[in-house]
Amino acid sequence: MSVAIKANRLTPYMFLAPAGIILVFALLYPIGYMVYASFLDWSPSQRIGQAEFIGFRNYVNLWNDDAFRESFWVTIRFAAIVVTLEMILGVGLALLLDRKLKGMAVLRTVFILPMMIAPIVVGLMWRYMYHPTVGIFNRTLKSFGFEGIPWLSDSTWSFIAIVIADVWQWTPFIFILALAAMQSLPRSALEAAEIDGANEWQKIFMIKLPLMMPVLIVTLLLRLIDAFKVLEVILVLTNGGPGLSTEILALRIFRTAQEFQELGEAAAMSNLLLMLLMALTIGMFLYNRVQEARAARQRAAAEKDDT
Amino acid sequence: MLKYLKTTVCAVAGLALGATAALANPYEEFAGETLVVNFPAHPHFDAVMKVLPEFTKETGIRVEVDQLQYLKMRERQTLELTKNRGDYDLIAYVVFSKADYVYADQLENLARFFMNPKLADPNYEAEDLIDGYVANIGVAGGKKGYLPGPTGSLFGLPFGSETSILGYRKDIFDKHDLKVPETYEELLELVCLIPELEPGMGGLASRAASGHHASHAFLLHLAPLGGRIFDDEWKPIVNNAEGVQAAEALKKIVNCGAEGSKTFGFAEAGASFLQGNSAMFLDSTVFAGQVNNPDKSKVVGLVEWAPHPVGVRAGSQTGGFGIGIPKNAQNKDAAFLLMQWLTSKKADKLIAMAGGNPSRYSTHADADVNEKFPHMATFGEALKNADPDWRPIIPVWGKINADLGTTLSKIITEDAPVQESLDGVAERTQALMDDAGYYTWTQ
Repeated sequence: MSVAIKANRLTPYMFLAPAGIILVFALLYPIGYMVYASFLDWSPSQRIGQAEFIGFRNYVNLWNDDAFRESFWVTIRFAAIVVTLEMILGVGLALLLDRKLKGMAVLRTVFILPMMIAPIVVGLMWRYMYHPTVGIFNRTLKSFGFEGIPWLSDSTWSFIAIVIADVWQWTPFIFILALAAMQSLPRSALEAAEIDGANEWQKIFMIKLPLMMPVLIVTLLLRLIDAFKVLEVILVLTNGGPGLSTEILALRIFRTAQEFQELGEAAAMSNLLLMLLMALTIGMFLYNRVQEARAARQRAAAEKDDT
Repeated sequence: MLKYLKTTVCAVAGLALGATAALANPYEEFAGETLVVNFPAHPHFDAVMKVLPEFTKETGIRVEVDQLQYLKMRERQTLELTKNRGDYDLIAYVVFSKADYVYADQLENLARFFMNPKLADPNYEAEDLIDGYVANIGVAGGKKGYLPGPTGSLFGLPFGSETSILGYRKDIFDKHDLKVPETYEELLELVCLIPELEPGMGGLASRAASGHHASHAFLLHLAPLGGRIFDDEWKPIVNNAEGVQAAEALKKIVNCGAEGSKTFGFAEAGASFLQGNSAMFLDSTVFAGQVNNPDKSKVVGLVEWAPHPVGVRAGSQTGGFGIGIPKNAQNKDAAFLLMQWLTSKKADKLIAMAGGNPSRYSTHADADVNEKFPHMATFGEALKNADPDWRPIIPVWGKINADLGTTLSKIITEDAPVQESLDGVAERTQALMDDAGYYTWTQ
């Protein structure tokens, strides 16, 4: 093999090298650091070299820690509920607004406004709206003669309160992606369906949604990852209370590092969260892969039938 | 000859005078140095900022202040103190941090500075510093590791310290001819009587939010009611009769509090009192500065102060900040001079007059200070009962505090059974303490 060919073969790797090096330093090194830290009994007053190596003790402690288990389930419940609600509402809104109406551009911009507000501000805003006496919800309820709702002082209601705030903020994200996906659907398929006499529901469930599925799956995944990591809004709204009813994992990790001064345990929790998210991501991509393969098979079969 | 003698005498006298002059200004050697200090954004330290130029004028030592929100301050210090050469010459720290910093060998023992005749001011009058504060914030290594005792030594000085005090609405108390509560029995009776007498008004504005706030409020009642978190053997006794009584007191106070009081933090409880929605307030003295500020308060001129009510003993909280010299500081001697100056009688008064929290008995009794802040004499009285052991200052406290706080929140908001819940805290605390090695010598 001549030198020129060898150099030619190496060229792509040389171009990739800077990105690869940055990836190693900016991504793998911190993750490796975190994984190593999770095996240490490390307080912030020590340098990492001074911390004692304790093997899997942090993980064992977490396994036996009721508070961690409770916040783990709170996180799962929170993520499942908000993402389901947001998907239904976001895709529903996209289906409703995928038409040419006057002032549509303005309406779309208004819809995505919540997403643009800083989470701390969202938290504060909702906290004032949920305020038992001066908050708009309870004032409205009371003006109609109903009892006020203990939004943030009852464990069930405060969970509902954080779900509402999150759905309000992140539904537009799904809406905007779903709308983009819908507008790039091949018109030919919809026209063919119309000619075949499909009604609106049939068009939605049999054409639009299946064709949008790859985009929706990625959207779902992005939201799910985000929902597992949400921190600021809940920190400001309830700070995890009452009791541990709204203490999601990200908040528990934050408190473990900040309040309890246990960096090792916080690192172990972060690792568990990372593994959970990795499993979800891989699962989701595998599902997507299987779906695509199935679609490809169907297409191939259809083409074969045609010929 | 006489002329020669005269010259010699003059020269000797001149030299002696020069030496005296040099001795008379112990700051001279350090004039022109710049100290970097780390203070929290806090009313006391805002007052300190007004007084600091006076120090520079008097000593020639310049001071650069890095003022941070107090949680941020802790984060920054954690990084700073582990460096080989630190940027801070003097730091303010919250009382919790004492345990961490001293244990990690990051604070200078102050003995060697107080031993140095060139640095230590003989007129410092350390006995005038409030005992409870010095014990709570300054001393480590004595009894239980965090209290004074034969083996204890001084690592910091109280600066911006606080205790608990009862604020009450004079107008409401006069209107219904109510007696200011002196005991817990009277207090607990009043908290639920007030909402009956003044519909819509809460009895006592207390913190209760899940976590640190609920735990703090509980501890405020635990010490006067005779309870403690641990016995002398580090066995958790938070679930004994006194602990249950304190939790029930807190629950009663919150239930008879203003609307929404189950989620009050320090700021919300304070706001409830300032807005006129609660008749009493029992918490840190740092709050007092806001009561007569018309921008923040609707109860200007209506509030009076009384000592923390007594249960089986008198015991008000001790908290707030202290100042210490980091081990890795660059200008330790000058930092000590600043520290000594800031906590001196003169500066303590200047800071108090500028709205800060004094750390000396004499400042609380000072006529000028009392004229400007009439509540100061009551605070001085209350301080005599400041209890340095109202909560344990040990490295694992953060976790115990959080567990206690979430458990109390469940008791308050979900009606969780008090005894059973505190039993759970005791059990988990015992496991934590075991893990941290507190039973190494007793098992």
